[in-house]
Amino acid sequence: MFVSRSMTIKVVTIQPDATVLEAQELMAKHQIRHLPVIDGKDRLIGVVTDRDVRSVLPYDCYKNPDCAKEHEKVAGLKIKDIMVVEPLTISPSDTIQDALLLIQEKRVGAFPVVDDKGKLKGIISVRDLLRAFTNVLGIGEPGTLLCILVEEKIGQMKKIVDAITEEGISFGSILVARYWEEDKRAVFPYLLTQNISRVKKKLQKMGYTLLEPMDWYLDQLPKHE
Amino acid sequence: MTMKKTGFLFDQRYLLHDTGPYHPEVPERLQAIYQGIEDGGLIPKLRMIGAARADLKWVETVHSVDYIRRFEEVCFSGQRTMDSPDNRMCTETFETALLAVGGVLKTIDLVMQNEIDNAFCAVRPPGHHAEVSEAMGFCYFNNIAIAARYLQQQWNIPKIGIIDFDVHHGNGTQHIFEKDPSVFYYSIHQHPSFAYPGTGREFEKGSVDGYGFTKNTPVLPGQGDEDYRHYVNRDLIPAFDHFKPDMILVSTGFDGHRDDDMSDVKLSTRAFSWIMETIFQMAEDHSKGKLISILEGGYSLKRLPELARNHVQILLNEQVHP
Repeated sequence: MFVSRSMTIKVVTIQPDATVLEAQELMAKHQIRHLPVIDGKDRLIGVVTDRDVRSVLPYDCYKNPDCAKEHEKVAGLKIKDIMVVEPLTISPSDTIQDALLLIQEKRVGAFPVVDDKGKLKGIISVRDLLRAFTNVLGIGEPGTLLCILVEEKIGQMKKIVDAITEEGISFGSILVARYWEEDKRAVFPYLLTQNISRVKKKLQKMGYTLLEPMDWYLDQLPKHE
Repeated sequence: MTMKKTGFLFDQRYLLHDTGPYHPEVPERLQAIYQGIEDGGLIPKLRMIGAARADLKWVETVHSVDYIRRFEEVCFSGQRTMDSPDNRMCTETFETALLAVGGVLKTIDLVMQNEIDNAFCAVRPPGHHAEVSEAMGFCYFNNIAIAARYLQQQWNIPKIGIIDFDVHHGNGTQHIFEKDPSVFYYSIHQHPSFAYPGTGREFEKGSVDGYGFTKNTPVLPGQGDEDYRHYVNRDLIPAFDHFKPDMILVSTGFDGHRDDDMSDVKLSTRAFSWIMETIFQMAEDHSKGKLISILEGGYSLKRLPELARNHVQILLNEQVHP
């Protein structure tokens, strides 16, 4: 669950004396939006984003990197002139939950990952987090998702897990989401099977409500009056 | 309407693959299918075809030699499942799977020799989930994929169009042909976020040379007749008009029926007839009426008789009464 395990290690970086046009080229070539700026000793000294670059390049030049006249104007512009100094960073020993909450709070697309000596170790982006959570959902493996509505009280999950396990079915994942009714939870077991009709009937017989698939949501939505 | 010469592949030996208790893919499915066709008075009109054991060289056009050997060993060693607890088996399973493939290949020969125009292959075990080296979703050998390769290699048919209307996505068939522009795979199925096996999203369109030769239409839970009509007209018909298949193979699954509890799709019996009539017409347009339908899923023993009867009536070019 640590950032060090989910981050991108081969980071495309840039030096402070490089030009803005070089940064533009690098980002286009690697299809990335964030360039950590490092000194000669791999220490992070800033970050440049595609937005920073776009805001200093004239529009025509951004659309058409070959336009010579506009090039001259910005050719002298260096990364150190436009980079964000002291950018927000995250540590390799922080968790991906930390990264997720921080990305949401700070509204940025990526964090450079820096160790306690200030050295750049990697970069973690929204894309890396999505990959991690695709894995958590288990949807890389064949299976079937159910949604069971349960009352929020101790021991519910055990009953559900036991009932499904008795059928010889393995779990790809199991998620619990808040439901709009306060004392209810929506449980989403991802079952690694095609053979679901029997277990569905069994859960219903035990008194559980299986939510209709078109009523599922993982996000907590307000109740519509 | 000119009557068609229609073949019906059925064999008591297809009942020998025993999946044990509490499994939906049971021999009674085939009995229900046969019963429906017999009660409809259709048997005398059909060319009956019996099973035949497939030559392994044809199975190897799709599956790895290692996998075939492993399947045989697992089966004869008395193990009851393979690769996933879903794939329940008995000692007869390997032979039955070979008989299913062989029966389909024999049916192809009859079509290509103009003995028959089209056919319905009521085989077990089903095939469209089976991958090159993995059994999946009650499937061991990918019958329809082997059929496509056999048509190409034995009968020199260049372009094969596969239509899969089983309510589950045929991951195996898609993966086997995703890089191959000579086989177009079209599937309409319940949306993978709500149904097994979790593949068959709209953006899966094939890869490399085969990009654009795979097409998926995911259907949302609760959708039914009108939605299928819309999607088939929007996606399938133009795709095949463009691809112009020399031969059409169909993965027939009756599990999208509203009374089948394996899915949340709500098709009526009438809608299955409309789908098959549409495919029949596509075969008229593209492949001189040549068309082979191969059974995949469909688990409602109550509905299978009428669905199979209508299916065969359409192949015979008879009017189906709603």
